[in-house]
Amino acid sequence: MSFSDETLMAYADGELDAATRAQIEAALAGDADLAQRIARQRQLRARLQAAFDPVLDEPLPPRLLESAQRFPGAVRADNLVPLRRTPAPRWSWSQWGAMAASLLLGALAAGLLLAPTGGPIITRHGEMLAGGTLARALTAQLASRQPPDAPVQIGVSFRARSGLYCRSFVLRDKTALAGLACRDQGAWRVQMLAAAATPPGTGAYRSAGSAMPPQLAQAIDGLIAGEPLDAQAEAAARERGWMP
Amino acid sequence: MDASDADLRRQLLELLPRLRRFARALARNTHDADDLVQVALERALTRSAQLHTGAPLAPWMFGIVRNAWTDELRSRGRRARLFAPAEAGEQAVDASAGPHTEVLAVQEALARLPAEQRGAVALVLIEGLSYKEAAYIMDVPVGTLTSRLARGREALQAMLDETTGAQR
Repeated sequence: MSFSDETLMAYADGELDAATRAQIEAALAGDADLAQRIARQRQLRARLQAAFDPVLDEPLPPRLLESAQRFPGAVRADNLVPLRRTPAPRWSWSQWGAMAASLLLGALAAGLLLAPTGGPIITRHGEMLAGGTLARALTAQLASRQPPDAPVQIGVSFRARSGLYCRSFVLRDKTALAGLACRDQGAWRVQMLAAAATPPGTGAYRSAGSAMPPQLAQAIDGLIAGEPLDAQAEAAARERGWMP
Repeated sequence: MDASDADLRRQLLELLPRLRRFARALARNTHDADDLVQVALERALTRSAQLHTGAPLAPWMFGIVRNAWTDELRSRGRRARLFAPAEAGEQAVDASAGPHTEVLAVQEALARLPAEQRGAVALVLIEGLSYKEAAYIMDVPVGTLTSRLARGREALQAMLDETTGAQR
């Protein structure tokens, strides 16, 4: 029985169906030439691997490590869709999508936010954590009793299915960021960020969590276990230091 | 979102050495290969939403490297495809390869393959992927992949037999 080079190639690569494989193996016993052709296929693979495998042991260039550390990124491509601008007269956590949101990516890329320390968002071991005023507000501020002009507005607080407490927020500074952070191992891990552009000079600021992009509401939908915390449950969770 | 972000990051970091190896097989010299990986990583950052559907990271990422490479070839135009032999020899020499003539011979032979055959050979024979996975990454039907692989193998074998003598 004779086999084409492509068949032998597939055999050497482990890509043949069982029947053809059995035929080759049966023929192999009495066919030195066939055995040699297969050995040749395998030898080529071995030579290629010997030539390129040392790359695996090379130290990784810092620039590649740095890029990989940012993966998969705080803002997904699906956040890049401009949203419609409609004022939300009264806050309701399911209505957050109502206000306009725009891109955060530019600000992130420009490094405006991800200062190593000091800013509202800090990075540690490639993760985004809340810092400064944001961390303080997430820990201490109650959505039910926050001043309308507080630099951080807390939106909804809830328990995630993982058991962790999570809170949404809006930064009332020039970044106009909205986001979601969960309390995990003593830090507020920022799960998501998006820029929320609120129309300037309106009374919309009076209600907490006014400028929330719909992606964030969606993210909360995906994470939340049960209902958002009411004022009483929120206060109780704060008392426990947001420990699960 | 949530825990999967850290997972994805860890998976990507683990994959990096293999992405570099793949890029090296495609682009030959270390610097160009790492540039290729860098471009791919930047693109991956902007497309990570695609992973929400639960697509496995490795083939997706290899595909982005392959894509970045195709774009690079296109932008370099014909020059990139038509290596003068002397130039190829020079570029193939890099510190990590060392003075091993066998390694150099193999790298140079691979570099002389047409781009599409080189990609198929790199994915199946060096990365050890299945035909199906390699076809997905090269964005061609499996039949096209196997015929490129067969032709690439044959050409490599002929070049290596010529340069290093029949090694059997």
